[in-house]
Amino acid sequence: MARIEQIAARQDGRAGLSRRGFLLTAAGAGFMFGFARKADASQVYPSSLPGGGMFEPNIWCAIGPDGTVNVNVIRAEMGQHVGTALARIIADEMEADWDKVKITQVDTDPKWGLMVTGGSWSVWMTWDVFRQAGAAARTVMIEEGAKLLGTTPAACSAHNGVVTANGKSISYGDIVARSKPTRSYTPEEMAKLPLKPVSERRLIGKPVAALDIPSKTTGAAIYGIDAKLEGMVYGRPKMPPTRYGSKVVSVDDTDAKKVPGYLRYVVLEDPSETVPGWVVVLAKTYPAAIRATDALKVNWTAGKTHSVSEAQILDRGRELIAKKEGGTYVFDDKGTEDALHAAHNLIEREYICASVAHYQLEPLNALAQQVGDTWEIHTGNQWQSLFLPVIAKALQVPDSKVIMRTYLLGGGFGRRLNGDYAIPAALVSKAIGGKPVKLILTRSDDMMFDSIRSPSVQKVQVGLNADDKIVAMRHDAAAGWPTEVMAAPFMSKGADGKPYDQFAIAGADHWYDTGPTQIRAISNDLAKETFRPGWLRSVSSGWTPWALESALDEVAHAIKQDPVAFRLSLLTATGRNAGQAPDSTGGAKRQAAVLQRLADKIGWGKTQLPADTALGVATTFGQERGMPTWTAAAAQVHVDRKTGVVTCQKLWLVLDAGTIIDPGGALAQTEGGALWGLSMALFEGTEIENGTIRARNLHNYTPARIGDTPEMDVEFIDSTEKPMGLGEPGVTAIAPAIGNAIHNAVGVRLRKLPIRPQDVLAALREHHTS
Amino acid sequence: MVTDSPDKKSGRWTVIKRVAAAVVGLGVLGGGGFLAYAWYPSIAPITPPQPSSFSPDKIRRGALVAAAGYCSECHTRQDLGGGPDLAGDYKMETPFGDLFSSNITPDPETGIGTWSEEAFRRAMWKGVDREGTQLYPAFPFDHFTQMTAEDISDLYAFIMTRPAVHLKPRDNTIPFPINIRLIGQGAWKLLYFTPGRYKPNPQKDAEWNRGAYLAEGASHCSSCHTPRDFMGAEKQSAKYDGAVIDGWIAPPLNAHNPTPTAWTEDELFAYLRNGVAPLHGPAGGPMSPVPHTFLSQLPASDVHAIAHYFADLDHAAERQSGDAAAVTTAMQRSGTDLVGPTVDPDAKLYQGACGACHYNSGKGPVLGRPELALNNALWLDEPNNLFMVMLHGLTAEEGQSHVAMPSFYTALDDHDMARIAAYLRRTRTNRPAWKDLEKKAAEARATLKTPPVNASR
Amino acid sequence: MTIKFEVNGKPVEIDAPADTPLLWVLRDDLDLTGTKFGCGIGECGACTVHVGGRATRSCITPISSLEGASITTIEGLDPQGNHPVQEAWRNQQVPQCGYCQSGQIMQAVTLLNDFPNPTDADIDGVMGGSLCRCMTYIRIRKAIKEAAVNMPGGETSNGQN
Repeated sequence: MARIEQIAARQDGRAGLSRRGFLLTAAGAGFMFGFARKADASQVYPSSLPGGGMFEPNIWCAIGPDGTVNVNVIRAEMGQHVGTALARIIADEMEADWDKVKITQVDTDPKWGLMVTGGSWSVWMTWDVFRQAGAAARTVMIEEGAKLLGTTPAACSAHNGVVTANGKSISYGDIVARSKPTRSYTPEEMAKLPLKPVSERRLIGKPVAALDIPSKTTGAAIYGIDAKLEGMVYGRPKMPPTRYGSKVVSVDDTDAKKVPGYLRYVVLEDPSETVPGWVVVLAKTYPAAIRATDALKVNWTAGKTHSVSEAQILDRGRELIAKKEGGTYVFDDKGTEDALHAAHNLIEREYICASVAHYQLEPLNALAQQVGDTWEIHTGNQWQSLFLPVIAKALQVPDSKVIMRTYLLGGGFGRRLNGDYAIPAALVSKAIGGKPVKLILTRSDDMMFDSIRSPSVQKVQVGLNADDKIVAMRHDAAAGWPTEVMAAPFMSKGADGKPYDQFAIAGADHWYDTGPTQIRAISNDLAKETFRPGWLRSVSSGWTPWALESALDEVAHAIKQDPVAFRLSLLTATGRNAGQAPDSTGGAKRQAAVLQRLADKIGWGKTQLPADTALGVATTFGQERGMPTWTAAAAQVHVDRKTGVVTCQKLWLVLDAGTIIDPGGALAQTEGGALWGLSMALFEGTEIENGTIRARNLHNYTPARIGDTPEMDVEFIDSTEKPMGLGEPGVTAIAPAIGNAIHNAVGVRLRKLPIRPQDVLAALREHHTS
Repeated sequence: MVTDSPDKKSGRWTVIKRVAAAVVGLGVLGGGGFLAYAWYPSIAPITPPQPSSFSPDKIRRGALVAAAGYCSECHTRQDLGGGPDLAGDYKMETPFGDLFSSNITPDPETGIGTWSEEAFRRAMWKGVDREGTQLYPAFPFDHFTQMTAEDISDLYAFIMTRPAVHLKPRDNTIPFPINIRLIGQGAWKLLYFTPGRYKPNPQKDAEWNRGAYLAEGASHCSSCHTPRDFMGAEKQSAKYDGAVIDGWIAPPLNAHNPTPTAWTEDELFAYLRNGVAPLHGPAGGPMSPVPHTFLSQLPASDVHAIAHYFADLDHAAERQSGDAAAVTTAMQRSGTDLVGPTVDPDAKLYQGACGACHYNSGKGPVLGRPELALNNALWLDEPNNLFMVMLHGLTAEEGQSHVAMPSFYTALDDHDMARIAAYLRRTRTNRPAWKDLEKKAAEARATLKTPPVNASR
Repeated sequence: MTIKFEVNGKPVEIDAPADTPLLWVLRDDLDLTGTKFGCGIGECGACTVHVGGRATRSCITPISSLEGASITTIEGLDPQGNHPVQEAWRNQQVPQCGYCQSGQIMQAVTLLNDFPNPTDADIDGVMGGSLCRCMTYIRIRKAIKEAAVNMPGGETSNGQN
């Protein structure tokens, strides 16, 4: 775009070579963070590893002759400080000197196995592997150190990067430099190594400054959108009228040609069928691409969903729930139907959750080019293992000819589990002979086809006997299923053997003893045809508790029991709720414990609050039964009866996530998650309109801002159990806690998310007249 | 700065439009007496004077007169990438066609090099060019007629010592019969023009009279700030009641000014001298060059005098006792919906787009945080200025120097501009709601020929 | 058009269409990628830089309005990246994904210039235009209060240049 005559970037000899270019030239295997406490920690380093005399006992870590410890991280860094948490695990077990630890966020390679960052799984999935990898490194350091110190391994101890025996010591770096160890371990060998006892942990659970933070305060951090390659051109997609089924009839670029810098347009031919009907405009600069795309005229025939509305999708959900057939049973206890039928009192309620957009702050983007016979895709992504093959299919090349270069993610929240945005970049680069193309979606492009959290309909039925005891329960949930659309082989099998999307029902499969229980997940076909359902922070555990925890509160009020005591009476930890080591040791007892602790903390039942102000509680098990993060939350809300505005004044959370690796990071994730819960309950939310997402930017999409933030009190239960996830559980209990608090404040029950003032007013009017 | 956007300064076309519209109806006028009135003889051309024939002091004084009268603003081309200073060809659009200002450099063929001082003075005092042709009243001779012979003589010295530029302005495209200046402009003058020098008001002090002399004469403030009647003449009955110029409202400069705090002499001085007043905010649109390009060149005493004069006209002395309370109220309103949780979608829009820069608290607004609860744009009867500044933004050279306001042209559509305007009017003032906001937003947008910024929603 | 201004103290001459947003000149021509593209409509604050010392949304500020202006980006806030606000951001471990944080920091610096001892209301009022999708708001508030204590006291710009 511009001719720059005087600029430092040019003067210091970097002309034409971007920072990323510099990185690639110097290294080419990912990017790095470190060192922990050095003054220049804010820099993103070109990788000088591996090689250079590094000792690599396994693929996960390496020790250099200078004592540097490199940790390879395959999880995307999108704000969880995941690299820091994972490196703490390995470094603790290794007895590394934390000040010498660096992290490499690696590019794709088959050797890494499953590259996915989601589901709050990262710590949970890595816990055993990284401790074993650390133990392997420590074992070698002690063995080789013993030789150099002229003693036996048994006489040696390792601590903080130094092996010591009989008053003599040698550093890990010196051991590597002098012994040049080469021993490596297979996973099977590593699994047999003894691990340190809990009492000897020195890093895990201790406060730590996240390694990715310094560069994020100076502008030096490099995200996907910052990637640059010599000679690249810019692309912006022209979005078709519907997500699926749109076909290009004609293109007229007469007006686009008037935009200086416009190069051409490309009608994408996509064998992977990821981006049907997309057209990409290429230009010399991104502003030119913006304007030329606006000026380009494309005629499409729209897909059949061009007039679909949110109301139609919800109606379809109701229709599917009403049908006996269809869907998949997650719980399918015998006798449920009969018991419900015979119940003395059947409480049946419907709950609605509207569409929610990710609005991750970095708009979707990808930079693609062909180098030799390999395609390089530079982009931040959460599920490389899933989308690399899709990119390969789109390009019609084997998977081995595609590499995804790793960058920081300017927010993931599940949006970048869906890698659809990499496909148009790859295809348009292919169309111009493999030259580098940087494709950036404007915010409205990004929002129009966001893989939203599907709108959902849920029906909860609770049968009570004459003594107000629950005799049976049923929960039906209908929504668009992301995993069915994008990762069908990853779907779970239900009690009836049929596949289902665990991310569209998890959270409903609760730990309460509710007698015979049926939980049914239903794929809303109209949702699936209209948009691409997405995984969004907490996935279904962000919306099934809205139904479950609201319904249980309704039942408690209906039978005049205290909602906390009522829940505690159901958390007996028997049968399937007893829990299983190592992931759910203790079972529902641990859920009861967080709830009880919360109740004690907030003075439940003992506090006096002003008029129209009240507390509400809810409890969940985080993301999924197999990896429960026991969670309890309370909200204090005030309801303005005149305007219907609900103000959340304070939130409390008590969580038991097992061992906490990085307390600061755990707290940050929980704070952020809880505010997402708040935002989705009171501030944001959109709807499907004319087959696409109505909200396109912040003029009509309104996530919580700083002033919307209530006071917050988060507590983690001390535990040495296996660590569970914390990226999402903070979200899960907030909306029902708010809904329950509204009921306690003014006596009305809201059953639709988000809660809007007009809905509160309508409920108040109805309450008044009834 | 060179701009290829003609929108910023497309001329006082509104004035011209009204004048031009009026003269269409003048066919009924005529007769020998009228012609005698309208006819002026040609004054003999001269050889352009040598610059050395003027004393440096005289030229310096003339430069100040030129600054006070903003000559170069309307006598320098703005479109087509700009033109040489004072060489004319400044385009003024009217519904009937375009007018182009004349070249007033001393070029003998295309400028006024052959004009004697007498011819120049006659033009300033009577609105007639050297050859006797009536000038369109877009040239504010109705104000310049108040200027002293001495000031005009100094101005002549300044003009005639500028570089001569050979540049023939484009031909006007005003069609017949409006273009018959003898009848049209002559008749207009007969009806509206009162020639004569400024007469000091003996009831007022010297500073007031100096301010009045400048404001009414060279600086021709009421050209923009006084509404015009159907003939395009300033309505003397509504002097300084404010008027629409280029889509902007030149606000009332008298007691009808609606801002909650008075335009005191200090506020006026800061505004006219630096382009920004602490309580009233920055100068935008066509007003921006007045302080930055012109009045900043004048002795401070002259700007003080103008401020002194207008502070009297707007009765600041009587009104300013309410200022403290008005500021307190505005400071309370400033944080409305920005502090604590907000779910109102319009408040959220304002919070995202505007609040970070316009929020104030404490005793008074921070300079550089224009307080909308005090600003003309929000208190005027129409939302023009609010919309225009949202669409254009402010350059680093406009308003408060070195500071820029972005252009929300692409960021906010007409509906969103209307939402913000209605919201602010409702929450930051006690004035009645504006009407038809979306339509007015569209009209304001239509005054910009090209989007100022290349962005997309 | 050709336009001259200053970025982080260095003179810059840019030849680009007049309507080009400052954001893309910074990011793509000057390689100053710390300033981010978020919403593109001036509603999220990720693109915030200083123009004449005042926080300005660069995504909708055309270069035509910047002749002679002095611009500071996150990279130029402090030569070592140790401005008191940056230090407070690290001490409080504010950033999560970090994408909005350049803008948050640039906005917070001007907040503290205008309101050296900001109340919670002042923080809401000024920082309300800066969206953090990770919702690091609790720590942003703490960091601003920490920085307020550590900013050079006494003299405040109060927005004047």
